[in-house]
Amino acid sequence: MTDDLPVLDLRGVKCPANAARALLRLETMEAGERLAILLDPGEPTESVPAALTLEGHRVVATTDCKDHWRLVAEARG
Amino acid sequence: MIYLDHGSTTPLAPEVAEAMARATAVAWGNPSSDHGSGLAAARVLEEARLRVATALRADPAEVVFTSGGTEANNLALKGRLLRGGRPGGRLVVSAIEHPSVMACAAWLEGLGVAVDRLPVDGEGLVDPDDLRRRLRPDTRLVSVGHGNHEIGTVQPLAELARVCAEAGVPFHTDACQSFTREPLPAPPDLPDLVSVNAHKIHGPKGAGALRVRRGLALEPLMHGGPQEGGLRPGTQNVPALAGFGVAVSLADPAEYQRQAALRDRLLERLLSIRGAHLHGSRTRRLCHHLSLRFDGVSGRALAAALDRAGVRVSRGSACSSGTTAPSPVLLALGIPPAEALGAVRITLGRGTTEAEVDQAGAIIDQAVATLRRTP
Ligand SMILES: Cc1ncc(COP(=O)(O)O)c(C=O)c1O
Repeated sequence: MTDDLPVLDLRGVKCPANAARALLRLETMEAGERLAILLDPGEPTESVPAALTLEGHRVVATTDCKDHWRLVAEARG
Repeated sequence: MIYLDHGSTTPLAPEVAEAMARATAVAWGNPSSDHGSGLAAARVLEEARLRVATALRADPAEVVFTSGGTEANNLALKGRLLRGGRPGGRLVVSAIEHPSVMACAAWLEGLGVAVDRLPVDGEGLVDPDDLRRRLRPDTRLVSVGHGNHEIGTVQPLAELARVCAEAGVPFHTDACQSFTREPLPAPPDLPDLVSVNAHKIHGPKGAGALRVRRGLALEPLMHGGPQEGGLRPGTQNVPALAGFGVAVSLADPAEYQRQAALRDRLLERLLSIRGAHLHGSRTRRLCHHLSLRFDGVSGRALAAALDRAGVRVSRGSACSSGTTAPSPVLLALGIPPAEALGAVRITLGRGTTEAEVDQAGAIIDQAVATLRRTP
C-alpha cells in the first residue's frame, strides 16, 4: 500500500479492544481525515467496521491482504 | 494533619475519583464481551492502556494490567525464572529491592534458582561494571529498581539496561516509586520489564501494570482466559484501571519540580539539626523523597511522636513478628544496625505546601530534641 496514511496496527488485539482502540484514535482526528487499520482475519473484519460505522465514522475501503485485512476509515470529526 | 508519607500511598486525586465513579456507572460491562456494553468498557480500559503505555514509553500491546506493583514484580520474576514450568538458571537482584522483589527471589532460590544479590555503594547505587562481571550465560533476569522506596536513590537505568542488552539478558525494573516522577530511558534502553502502580501517584490501590517487551516470553502466575494476552487472566478491574490512566495523565513535571524544591527546603532545615544524616544520594534522588536519621533517636519513637503531633511519616525499618529489625536496605548501604534503626522516611505529594513543610521541619526539630532528653 502506498497511500501514506497513518497506520493503526491492531493485529493480535482481541475484540472488542480492537474496535475500542480504533475509535479512540479516530476521535483524535479531524473530520474527513483517514486512517489505515490492520486487523486479523475473521471476526475483527466484521465487528470493527460495524463499531466504527455505528459511531458515525466511514469505512471507505477494505482490502484482504491474505494474512491480515486493511481497512481505511474516515473520521467523523 | 500533615501527611508526609506519600511513598506509602497517596490520596486519590479528585479527577481520579471522578473518572472511577464514571467508569463504575457507564463502563460496567465486561471488556471482553463483543457487544455494546463490552465495547463501552473496552474503550475505557484501552484509553487507560494508551495513557499508561505513553508514560512507559511502550507500545500499548506491551502493557499488561495487574493488581498493583507486587503482582507486576511477581509476574516479572516468577514469569521469567519459572519459564516452561521449571525453575532454573540465575537471577540477579540488587540488595536494596522492595520486599515484593526480594521475597520472590528468596522463594525462587528455595526452588533451586541461583540468586546473586548485587551490592550497592554508600549512596545505594549499583555499579554497571559490577553488574557486567556477574552476568552468566544462564542468567535469566536482572532486576534493579528505578527509584528506591526507602532511600530514594535513582539508579542509572539506561547504563544498566545497556549492560544487560550487551549480554542478551532481560532486564526488569521496579519503577513503582519513580513512575512519572523520573523519565524512563527511551527504547532501546527501556528495560524489557517495567513494574508500575497507581496508588503512589494519586491513583487507586489495586491497580498496576507490567510492561513486557514484545517477544519476551513469560509464564503467567494464573491460568484462565485470554485477558491481558493470557499473562493476566481474569476480568479487568475497569474502574480502578480507568483511575490509573487518569492519574498518569495528571502527572506534571512542573509539579514534580515544585516538590523537589520543597524537599530541598525541608532537607536544609532538617540537616541544621545536630546529628542529622541523609540516607542515599543528595543529587540522584526521587523528587518527593527524604530518608534521614538523627543520632541517638529511634526512628520508631520519632515517627510515633510525630504522629501524635499530627505529622505522618514512615519509619525506615521492617516490622516482623512484633520485633523491629533494621531495614536490609539501610544495612546494604553499610549503615550499622543500631543507626539504621533511627531512619525515618518523609515523602511529599501533590497536596504538600510550603507552610506544611516548614511546620513539619519545626515539629521534627522539637520532637528530636524532646526524645534526646528522655532516656
Ligand atoms: C518500590 C515498590 N515496589 C512495589 C510496591 C508494591 O506495590 P503495590 O502496593 O501496588 O503492590 C511498592 C509499594 O508498596 C513500592 O514502593
